[in-house]
Amino acid sequence: MLSPFPPASRSEARRSRLLHGVVLAGLLFGWYAASPAVRAGDASAGADVFKSECAECHAVKEGRNKKGPSLFGIVGRPSGSIADYSYSDALKQANWTWTADKLHWYLSQPAKTANPGTKMKYDGLTDAKQLDDLLSYLGNVH
Amino acid sequence: MVSPLIRRAIRWARPTPLAWVVAALLMFASTAAQAIPAYARQTGSACADCHAGSYGPQLTPYGMRFKLNGYTDTDGKGFKVPVSGQLRETYTNPATGKSTTNLTEGDLYLAGRLTDQVGGFVKVEADRTGHDTYNTRLSNVDLRFVARELKLGGKDLTLGVSVNNSPGFQDPIAALPNASFIAPVGVTGSLLSLATPNAPSNRVIGATMYALYDRNWYGEVGTYRSLPKSTQDHLGYNVASDPGSLHDTGYFRFAYMKDMKKQFFSAGVVALTTHRSLPRSGPSDHLTDLGYDLTYQYLGNREHILQLSYVNILEQRHYGAALFGAGGVAAPDRGNVHDQTLTATYTFHQTYSLSVSRLLSTGSRDSVRYPPFGNPDATTNMVTLFWAPFGKDDSYTTIANLKLAATWYRITRFNGREDNIFGAPPGVRPTHAGDLNAFTLSASLAF
Repeated sequence: MLSPFPPASRSEARRSRLLHGVVLAGLLFGWYAASPAVRAGDASAGADVFKSECAECHAVKEGRNKKGPSLFGIVGRPSGSIADYSYSDALKQANWTWTADKLHWYLSQPAKTANPGTKMKYDGLTDAKQLDDLLSYLGNVH
Repeated sequence: MVSPLIRRAIRWARPTPLAWVVAALLMFASTAAQAIPAYARQTGSACADCHAGSYGPQLTPYGMRFKLNGYTDTDGKGFKVPVSGQLRETYTNPATGKSTTNLTEGDLYLAGRLTDQVGGFVKVEADRTGHDTYNTRLSNVDLRFVARELKLGGKDLTLGVSVNNSPGFQDPIAALPNASFIAPVGVTGSLLSLATPNAPSNRVIGATMYALYDRNWYGEVGTYRSLPKSTQDHLGYNVASDPGSLHDTGYFRFAYMKDMKKQFFSAGVVALTTHRSLPRSGPSDHLTDLGYDLTYQYLGNREHILQLSYVNILEQRHYGAALFGAGGVAAPDRGNVHDQTLTATYTFHQTYSLSVSRLLSTGSRDSVRYPPFGNPDATTNMVTLFWAPFGKDDSYTTIANLKLAATWYRITRFNGREDNIFGAPPGVRPTHAGDLNAFTLSASLAF
């Protein structure tokens, strides 16, 4: 392989691979740490957030739909996938998966902005910690 | 909601104030009957979503929205039969008189949505009136048409029409007497109170238009007229408590309400004005109720809920006919009545509640209309403990509920006095305000 640099010694190559590994690990850790799934550290606080923000319209019990569908196993679930819940056309056509990132994006703004035409009436949760706590709680509901 | 005792008392109200007071107090034992399982089946919601104590009647902000939306919210799973029932067994232990235990009430509710825009609440109530005898009557009615998700100036707007039979029952905040079923008891009271002798409650029919703007601003205007006596009779009411003929009746309501998820507060004003002929062939009195109400709720994570409400209603009266008492003493041609209610309710785990109320009824002095002292002032304190084990998301059942309640009524002033409240002459055993005290235990089952 052509290179503008002189060939490295074997020990230098090992150090370089090690450095690359550390950098890559750091990047991976940074990305991981920055993702909502991990930022959300307090699931018990998230349970309280759920009760005040979500529980009037959503239950976490499997199969229990209220005005909104059950949030049992919501993280990782395809959108509009509960068979016996009547979704809006807007959400049926959204065709996305409720990853932690997607939920973070969706819940941090008015529902009708995130998904115009949705039945969901929610202004969004602007408190970053509460949102992280909530996502941590929802991640445990399965 | 009103027990048979109060209906009997309404008939006797003027000639026998003691019977009226005892019965009116016992009315409060049968007030908490608003958690309708048919609504839970319709919406998939738990009773606790709309009622802090899972059985009512106090509404959470979510319950207020359900009412404002015309009882039409749904889980989208098709038509649900909008029918519920309730049974209540009550042990009553008055300070004077015999204790009783009876199946005091059986109710049928037609409650729920008919279409996306039409829903309602209708209660048919059978009250025990004697040994194995019950009187059936049409209780509260609230039929609604609602237009939702409108926009005005870029803000949310909800418009609705309510046809109802009790001024204030339709109010979303539900602090007014006809909605909270908490009102001061005395020898007189305001038009807006269900505990007032010859009250309009359930004996009128009216229509109001309401609007909720930007989720916070509520306004309502409407009118009522009293039902003909024959209709009242057919609907199960004794015509002796006819509210009279009402003319030029206007109902006005304006309120600001703010739902902050963990907290809620509201501040509102209300007015009800009418020309009343009572008896119907008699002259017309001009009555105007002007009131305000303040409420606050701490909801938090719903483990500890605190609800506070204060209602202050002043009724101004301009009597249409001269009235003379003994010795030719002329009664004033004007007067006023002042009702105040302060209630604090703490609810733990949406299951256990302690509610404390202080009820004041005062009025201008009138020796002719308020014998024997010319003073209508009365003070009542009420304490209720209750347990509603079901009606939560994680309950054994969310479509039926049970409530066990213990209530203490303490009367500290009546006819303006603590002692000898009816002015018994020497040698006759006097009645003291405390003699009107009562204690009740009730078990209510809704399904």
